[in-house]
Amino acid sequence: MVRASRRLLKDAANIGKAFSDFLACPLSKQPLRHCEDSQSRISETIGVSFPIIDGIPCLVPKDGKLLEDQNKSQVENGADPSSGNSERDLLLAVNIWVTGLI
Amino acid sequence: MASAAPPPASSSWGCGRRRRVRCSAERQGLFSRIAPVYDNLNEVLSLGQHRIWKRMSVSWAGAKRSDRVLDLCCGSGDLAFLLSQKVGPDGQVSALDFSKDQLLIATARQDLYWKACYKNIEWIEGDALELPFADSYFDAITVGYGLRNLLDKHKAMKEIFRVLKPGSRVSILDFNKSTSTLITQSQEWMIDNVVVPVASNYGFSREYRYLKASIAEYLTGKELEKLAKEVGFSDAKHYEIAGGLMGNLVAAR
Repeated sequence: MVRASRRLLKDAANIGKAFSDFLACPLSKQPLRHCEDSQSRISETIGVSFPIIDGIPCLVPKDGKLLEDQNKSQVENGADPSSGNSERDLLLAVNIWVTGLI
Repeated sequence: MASAAPPPASSSWGCGRRRRVRCSAERQGLFSRIAPVYDNLNEVLSLGQHRIWKRMSVSWAGAKRSDRVLDLCCGSGDLAFLLSQKVGPDGQVSALDFSKDQLLIATARQDLYWKACYKNIEWIEGDALELPFADSYFDAITVGYGLRNLLDKHKAMKEIFRVLKPGSRVSILDFNKSTSTLITQSQEWMIDNVVVPVASNYGFSREYRYLKASIAEYLTGKELEKLAKEVGFSDAKHYEIAGGLMGNLVAAR
């Protein structure tokens, strides 16, 4: 019974990972890459990461954070990542991406 | 939305008693505030009938074993749990909502009820107007008491159409905005004399007063059918249930 429980939990973890692989970027609609280190979903197309909080992927467009901002905040180690300009920068990134498609 | 705190109640409602809940953030705040009592109030106010309406809605969606399905505006998960049993352990249920508080209650219920098939549910915080899914991904979609609360219903229907596989159906359950004066007056009477007083016992009379305005601003059955066809659905039919108080739109891509 213990072995069966362990197998169920392992299967659940694998299902969870495979399951989440189908999620797409809410803006570009392209597949997301799962990042184990930051526990986030990365949209390579527009360079934005979306957090996973309490096990729930947060894929609201304005929850996205530019990868550059995220890397900077990690380097500065403790600086407040939620700057007032993050939403503006996200919109700028989307604008750049959309312009590139035209 | 994780990065924006919901507006405090006083600023949400302003000075006028008839001020409408206009923006998405206000509506999100409303649903987050009522999250702790949402299920209880659904049960009490519908005398348990909401369970029947939701089962009907899921049947209309046509979900079957091993399907990939979406429950949009999932709230605390009622429809997602029903879909989970329909599609079984080899299926997938994506359940999306803009309220983190509602989703946390859904996950708590998932742990509490625990059935093996519930492992097939993925909860997602997202925007119904910008769905995080590829085109033509789902075999069936349900929306329970959600479309009426979306500010841009046309865009929402376009997104639903986009992520639905050709030949598949969406089933949208909600209050019925009736063309019958009798039904409309009955709805308004019940909201004023039953729903709001009961909700006030839970401390949410203002939040549930929103219901009357939101039904008045919603689309009639015919208008919903027309909207579905405008965005590309090949067929759309609106069914009135619960004596005309509720309605369910079924649209096929």
